[in-house]
Amino acid sequence: MSDNTNSLVTVSRANIAVNRFGYGARGHELEAASKSPKEWIKSQLLPITFSTTLPNSNDIFLEHAQFVKDKKQQKKSKQPAKKTVKNSARNNLRLMSIETLEQAINSPHSISWRLLDFFSNHFSVSANGRLMTGLAATLEREAIAPNLFGRFEDMLLAVEQHPAMMIYLNNEKSFGPNSRQAKKRKVGLNENLAREILELHTLGVNGGYQQEDVLELAKAITGWSVKNPKKERSTGFIFRAHGHEPGNRKLLGNHYKQQGISQGEQMLRDLANHPNTAKYVCYKLAHHFVSDHPPKPLTDTMESTWLKTQGNIKSVMVSLLNADEAWLAQPQKFKTPREFVISTFRALAPAKMKNKALINAFANLGQRPFSAGSPAGFSDNESDWLGASALMARVDWSANISAYQKRVNAEKLMTIALGSSVSPHTYQTVMRAESRQQALALLLMSPEFQRR
Amino acid sequence: MSDLDKINTDNQKCSAGVSRRKFLQMTGAGLAALSFPARSVFAQAPLAKPNHPPKIVWILLRGALDSLHTIVPRFDEQYKKLRPKLSASFKSPLLPIAKGYALHPALKNMHQLYQEKSLLPIVAVSSGYQQRSHFDGQDFLESGKAEIDHDSGWLARAIDVKNKSALAVSRSTPISLRSSEHVNTWYPSNLKNANEEFYAALGHLYQYDEALKENLASGLKVKGLAAHENDSKKKRKGKFIDLTKVCAKLMLEEQGLDCAMLELGGWDTHNNQSNRLEQKLTELDVGLAALKDGLGESWDNTVVVIGTEFGRTAKENGTAGTDHGTGSALILAGGAVDGGKVLGDWPGLNPEQLFEQRDLMPTSNSFSWIANVLVQHWDFSADEIRQVFPDTAPYNQKLV
Repeated sequence: MSDNTNSLVTVSRANIAVNRFGYGARGHELEAASKSPKEWIKSQLLPITFSTTLPNSNDIFLEHAQFVKDKKQQKKSKQPAKKTVKNSARNNLRLMSIETLEQAINSPHSISWRLLDFFSNHFSVSANGRLMTGLAATLEREAIAPNLFGRFEDMLLAVEQHPAMMIYLNNEKSFGPNSRQAKKRKVGLNENLAREILELHTLGVNGGYQQEDVLELAKAITGWSVKNPKKERSTGFIFRAHGHEPGNRKLLGNHYKQQGISQGEQMLRDLANHPNTAKYVCYKLAHHFVSDHPPKPLTDTMESTWLKTQGNIKSVMVSLLNADEAWLAQPQKFKTPREFVISTFRALAPAKMKNKALINAFANLGQRPFSAGSPAGFSDNESDWLGASALMARVDWSANISAYQKRVNAEKLMTIALGSSVSPHTYQTVMRAESRQQALALLLMSPEFQRR
Repeated sequence: MSDLDKINTDNQKCSAGVSRRKFLQMTGAGLAALSFPARSVFAQAPLAKPNHPPKIVWILLRGALDSLHTIVPRFDEQYKKLRPKLSASFKSPLLPIAKGYALHPALKNMHQLYQEKSLLPIVAVSSGYQQRSHFDGQDFLESGKAEIDHDSGWLARAIDVKNKSALAVSRSTPISLRSSEHVNTWYPSNLKNANEEFYAALGHLYQYDEALKENLASGLKVKGLAAHENDSKKKRKGKFIDLTKVCAKLMLEEQGLDCAMLELGGWDTHNNQSNRLEQKLTELDVGLAALKDGLGESWDNTVVVIGTEFGRTAKENGTAGTDHGTGSALILAGGAVDGGKVLGDWPGLNPEQLFEQRDLMPTSNSFSWIANVLVQHWDFSADEIRQVFPDTAPYNQKLV
């Protein structure tokens, strides 16, 4: 055993800017960031856009309605199913997931894509069933990205009224027990979306709400539904007044006398600006960007910015980046599989990426897009990703991907990805590897590249 | 004080003494009991041999299993009234068990186990968790403390007390097994193995990073054991039945691996419950059968504990499903289980008998049952139980 001072490393501020807050260095980013790391990363909080060539949620709905219709006809005529029709939902999910990943990999301002991913995971939807498979990825494109640097309440409203969230958490068929609809047909209340809004999207589980609050919010958003392409010949959000629970409501001690759609909307706006929501979302942001145990002064600063700016997400992010506590020189977090794979491709910058290989990487490492399987989203804790089998999957994946890099120069790549923030021990181990490919795999699996 | 609080504190009050008595039984009369095969009259199972140490498998059903659709209380007059659609939705006849209950028709293997007295359903249980959030409910059930501890689970504390090791069939360690250093994780991988030289070089690279070093070491160990499963050309990895098969194999091949945890999700049946549970329960049933086959003779000295975070509403909802509730069921299975009976007091389904007039009222505590298993199957003393469940004391029923 050699002296372990050999393994110590101080992480440069440029490295922190690029690797802790962004998705990892690409090309000459470390160099560009080194002049003024803080100003450099703050200047990267820039809006993001998606291509318009992929289908949107309306297209997906129409396509799904057509699929259901075709399937019924096929059943009648007993003809074999057309495979092309069948796979389009999955194909759409893949194309949309790939676009987000490719943009994150190629972006010159990757922190914005990480922020998108943060909120996409905060408002997690899973691709369960054919309709949700097509819809899942449209939520971040249509409801989250346009509000990424605006006020949280606008994002919250856009998300909760988006068909993907409505259907994922069963609100499209939730009707008030005393509504006209309920008197005509046997339909009922479903409190799923209301519960998750309080528990996961706004106040947080210890945010001070009770079961009655869940019910009151659930009743207030009865009638929030999605159009039926067959009957209404159009798609998207619809408020079904005849399904709305009549009457005044009371949430967290406040009275809501509005009737109709504005009742639930006002509740959501109030929830978005509630101090416990500020606390909960700021903590989650600091936990994601900085540390599994974010320092209290950091979250305090962010919270006070949130309250001062009515939840302006850009201002909150700037206050995070301005705080000294966010820049501790020791590595603070173990990368999630998503961060690891994206940062790997940013460092490698391959001319071409195979779509299938890219998605498979996430599947193999346990983070296939839109498969968290729980509205709580994927975990953001080291303990959930640094298990033995999770680590072995990373090890094997790194070895596999490295085997295809024929002309790679590990030393050069080490400079691109980590700059001077490499311990002598890691440097020597990588440089003494038996092959170029093994050197690259060791670099990718090094503590310096795995942590940020 | 809510009714649930009462259940919890009643447990704590009465059972410290009980468990001490139980402990004396285990050490005194218990030894004598081992020398003659009292229960083999029914089970005709051979007595546990010393080379089959007592095993525990913990299966967590994530998403809140609807116990009323699994262990059906068809004797209760309210049942059909509360669930006109669901109660009429079974595709084949229910499988009768004691006291007028019946198992869901998909549970064919489990019904067979019941008839062999190796299955013991316990109705109307709750962990004591009083809200209706899946994630908190699961965390609470996994951590086993009065306040959720995300970094320490009851099963981890149990294996540490007895110096055993455990396998988590999962990509990462679930809360149940956090805080112990004797946990391996395994999950099928589609990736080609790296070569041995690379693993060795990584060992060198990680010599100063404890977390990476340890996880690499245990990852390599488990990888070796599940090698042939990893090579299988299966299209869909991670099917429950495949997981239970490998789980059994790893438990048999690895000395001291007397404990495992498996997870099965998909129980959150807010809609289309009938079809969804038909499928999920089949998955559970055949998975359990595969575990039994895989464990071979070791099955005779195994207790499988199947639990879920909470139950579902007694009444069906407007979308042919059920919403988050409170009381659910705990199911014990395994050759070591003194089964063929149904435990747990039935609270009734009349409106005033329901918890908050909507959920099945729990009449007993999941942790007390699990502690009961630990006492009888792993010889836990009262002190040792307190290290696992600081706030709950064991029941004293014959479970094993």
